[in-house]
Order: sequence, then C-alpha cells, then structure tokens
Amino acid sequence: MSRLLVTLISTAVVVGMIALPSQLYTGQVRVVTAVLMFVALAQAWNIIGGFTGYACFGQVAFFGIGGYTTAVLMEHANWSFWWALPVSAAGCAMFAGLIGLPLLRLRGHYFAIATLGVAEGMREVITNLGPLTGGGAGITVPTVAGRGTPWLGNDGFYLLFLALAVLAVAVAVLISRSRFGYGLRAINQDEDAAAAAGVNTTRAKVAALSVSAAITALVGSAYAFQQITIYPQRLFDVDITVTMIVMVVIGGAGTVLGPLVGAVGLQFVSEYLRQAYPQEHILVLGAVIVLVVLLFPAGLLTAARDAVSERRISLLETIRAYRL
Amino acid sequence: MSSFWQATIYGLLQGGLLAMIAVGFSLVWGVMNIINLSHGAYVLLGAYTAWELHAAWGLDPLLGAAAGGTAMFVVGYAVQRLLVNRIVNAPIFLTLLLTFGLQLVLVQGMAVLFTADYRSIATSYASESFGIGDVRVPYGRLLAFGVAAAATAALVLFARRSRTGIAILATGMDRTAARLMGINARHVYALTAGIAAALAGAAGAMVGLVGTFSPPDAARFTLLSFVISVLGGLGNMYGALLGGLVLGVVQAWAGQYLPGTWVNAVAFAVLVGVLIVRPAGLAGRAFYEARVEAA
Repeated sequence: MSRLLVTLISTAVVVGMIALPSQLYTGQVRVVTAVLMFVALAQAWNIIGGFTGYACFGQVAFFGIGGYTTAVLMEHANWSFWWALPVSAAGCAMFAGLIGLPLLRLRGHYFAIATLGVAEGMREVITNLGPLTGGGAGITVPTVAGRGTPWLGNDGFYLLFLALAVLAVAVAVLISRSRFGYGLRAINQDEDAAAAAGVNTTRAKVAALSVSAAITALVGSAYAFQQITIYPQRLFDVDITVTMIVMVVIGGAGTVLGPLVGAVGLQFVSEYLRQAYPQEHILVLGAVIVLVVLLFPAGLLTAARDAVSERRISLLETIRAYRL
Repeated sequence: MSSFWQATIYGLLQGGLLAMIAVGFSLVWGVMNIINLSHGAYVLLGAYTAWELHAAWGLDPLLGAAAGGTAMFVVGYAVQRLLVNRIVNAPIFLTLLLTFGLQLVLVQGMAVLFTADYRSIATSYASESFGIGDVRVPYGRLLAFGVAAAATAALVLFARRSRTGIAILATGMDRTAARLMGINARHVYALTAGIAAALAGAAGAMVGLVGTFSPPDAARFTLLSFVISVLGGLGNMYGALLGGLVLGVVQAWAGQYLPGTWVNAVAFAVLVGVLIVRPAGLAGRAFYEARVEAA
C-alpha cells in the first residue's frame, strides 16, 4: 500500500471517529471511550514490550502515578487539569528514566518481576501517604466551577481519549520508521549485537521506557479526571498491565497495527462477555487468553499477514516452532 | 523485647511455610525458565481439596495435605504436558500470559465453586500453644513449619540422589544435551511442574490449617514466591528455604514496627533491591548461573 493511501485511510478513520458519538447512545459512547483508552495503553506498552522486547509487567505504575499526580495537583495545588496533564506525563517520564537506569540492566524474567515489584510497591506507597493521596479511601478531583476544571462530559472525554489514542499511534508510527526504532528492534533481536553495531543500548532502552511511561501517564491522568474519585487498588491494578500485554500479543507485538487491532478486538469481546456472562466473564476471558496464546503465539495480525503473503495458513508452523 | 522475639518466631514459622510454596516455583523457573503465574492458584486448589475432605469426612489437614498434593501433582503434570510445553520456546511474555490466563480460569472457577468467603480448616490443636519464656509457639504453625521443612529437604534429596531428580537437573542445565542422552524432556518438564504443583497443593492445606484463605489470595502467593525465589537464587532449593525464612522474618518485623500496610511495600522494596544488587540471590550462586544474565 502506498503511503498516500495509508494517510488517506487513517485521516478518514479519525474524522469518522470524531463524528461517531452523535450516532451512538450514551452507554455506547462510554464503551468506545474505553476502547480508545486501551488503544493508547496497548500502543504505549508496545514501545517498550513490543519494539524493545522488554516485558514490562509494571506498566500500570506509570498509569497510577500519572493519575495520582494529576489528582494531587488539582486537589492540593488547585491546578487546572490542562496543566496537570502534561506535567504528570513529564514527571512520570522522569520517574521511568530514574528506575529504568538500574532496572533495564536486568533481562528477561528479572526485568518483568522487578517492574512488577515497582508497581506493587508504588501502590503501597500511595496507599500509605494518606495526607497527600487520601490513602485507601481514595482522592477526589475537584470538578466544580471556580475550583479545578469542569468535568468534560461523556463526549468531551471521548474526544480526549481519541486524541490520546491518535497521539499514541502516531508516536508508534514515528518510532517504527526512525533510526531510534530500528535501534530498539535490534536490541529486541540481540542486545549484544546491537551494542556492537553502535546502538547506545542503555540510552535507547531508557528513552523507550520514558516515552512509553509518558503516554501511559497521559492516559492515567485523563482516566483519573474521568473517574473523579480514584483509589490505589484500581489505579495500580495489575490487571490493567496484563490487559495491555494481552492486547499487544494478540494483535502482534512490535507492529503498529497489531496492538490497535488487539486493543479494539479484545475490549469489545470482553465488554460483550461482561454483559452476556456477568458472573463468569473473567473465567471465559482467561480461557480466551490461553487459546489465543496457544494458537497464535506470534499474534493474529502476523498470522493473517503470513497467510496472505504466502497464501497458506501458518498456524501449525508457529506452533511447531515454539513447542518442546 | 518479648514482642521482638514473638515477631521473630512467628516470622520464622510463617517463612518456612512460604518457602514450601516457593521452592517448587523456584524449581520450575530454574529448570524450565518458566514463571508460573498460576502457582498461587495451585496453593488454593490444594487448600480447597483439604478443606472439602475435612468438611466431608473430618479428615485431618495432614492427610488432606497428602491428598491435595497428589491431586495437584496430576493437575500440574497435565497442564505442563498439554499446554505449557507447546510454547516453551516462545518469547517469555507468552508463557507469562498463558499461565496468567490459567490463573484467571482457576481463580474465577474457585470463586464460582466455593464463593469468595474466607475459609479455614478448624482443628482441635492448631490454636493451642506452648511457651518458651514469654514467647508463645502455636502447635499448628509449628506443625506447618515441620511439614514444610521436611518436604523441602525431601525435594532436595530427591533432586540430588534419584535418577529422575538428576534427569530434571540435567535437563535444566542443557536441554539439548539431556535429550541426546536419552532423557524424555517433555516428560521431565511435566514431572518438574507436577512436583512443584504438588508441593504448592500440600502447602495449601497447611495454609488452611494456620489461617484463612480465599480465591483472590492466589496472586499474593505467586508474588511472594517470586520474591523468595529471587532472594534465594532461582532454582536453588536450599536458597528458597533461606529466602522464605528471611522474607517471613522481615515481614513480621515490618508488621510489628511499621504503621499501616507499609509491611507489603517492604517485601517489594527487598525484591527490587536484591534484583538490582545481587541478581543471583542472597545465597550466592543460582542453580544455573548463565540464565541470570542471558535470560
């Protein structure tokens, strides 16, 4: 596909998305808003997990820190949301850089667990900083006129999350085409070889984690404003991290389109399951994850691309490649 | 001073039980380079097995531990053989995701079957205690500690002395070479996972003996297993015992002297700190050191 065609299609999709809420019920707008939120989150994880290959299992830490920075700045410093949003992202990017320097020296499972430990630890820190963060009882963002920023309404948050999703996808596109992105892919394939070929691996990895954290923090910040009252249990919920990872892996890690497809697909499926099987939907979701991992270990998009380009179903071949 | 010793004794006894949960987790990690996120769910499955047997026939939790362990051996073997073996060579987040999906299925399945109510296995002796000076030692916790220590020692002996145990360690060191020597790697992997699950299941019965449990506890047991395995050096079975004791005591002290729920933060601070400073674990060498650097 030519570049022009891609640009035209994506512009048409974005314009269509902006016009979409007028055609939907309030409940449907909320569902699509959640989908857009996860598109941005999945794309953010894709930068560190997909391109760079570092399985960050503590991504939700950036989500929670972004949300809590915004809530604390709005509640205690009377900041406007529109100032708190970028400041939260910048602060979180710095935090990611600081923890990234020691943690990104670890590889494989060790990195995954260390980041998980950071996320769980941050939740406990936020819970125990009661005077500042409200502790386990949560903190409420001021949304009344004269103090804080007025709540944006369903359509307003739809547009905000749409903007964040477009930003996240755009950043992923830019990275995937840049020298920086090729460096990250090289690190993913063989870090020692990448270093030998002249990639400053430490700088590239820390930058990737910081960019990924900044986008995640933007989403967390917007989410905190949308929810009005936030709690540590929700903002640092490990399920949010896992959802991002599942979306990226289902779609195809390290591609731009894959996480997009995975996020849209999985969020609609889990929303459907939630409504159809209110009791057992998590059980079914778990079974879906197991099946997809077993059948499409390289991601749906990669499997589909191989099927089209090589005119055959590569299902059995990927399974053969990964089994014992 | 007596509160300090009470906390220390309590931490040691609790740490022994945590070590029994973690030793299998550490073995699976060391031999197969797999992090089993459904490990905590195995603990609870064992606990519910023992609880059901106790409720139905009044079976003592000690026998319940044997039954739960046997049942979980079968589950662990089957899960490894049928599911996890299929993606052993895939990038690590796939095995993490697969076992996370399994954990969701198992935990939600238990929540549907047994509800999310807190359960415990009530016995006549568990809450009785004897004293050493001012320090009280409950029989139930002492028994759980004894079972945990014996099971860990038996596992080490099995791994170092029996032909099967040596085959497991050999497969962990170099799978290709082990297969060339005629070892059936698929069976050995499944056996390793089965042993880990059996220890977790038996430990679950002990968890029910000394306290309460409920399906959402699964994630906490998995996380504590992480911490202990890292503390001890992965795959290092004595290391896991040491890591469990250290974590138990540190948590007990933190619970005694720190306000609020800082005690949970301490466990993760210890984890991240050890990972950064000594990735091979406090006990020194990991079982298979190359894995530490080369992922």
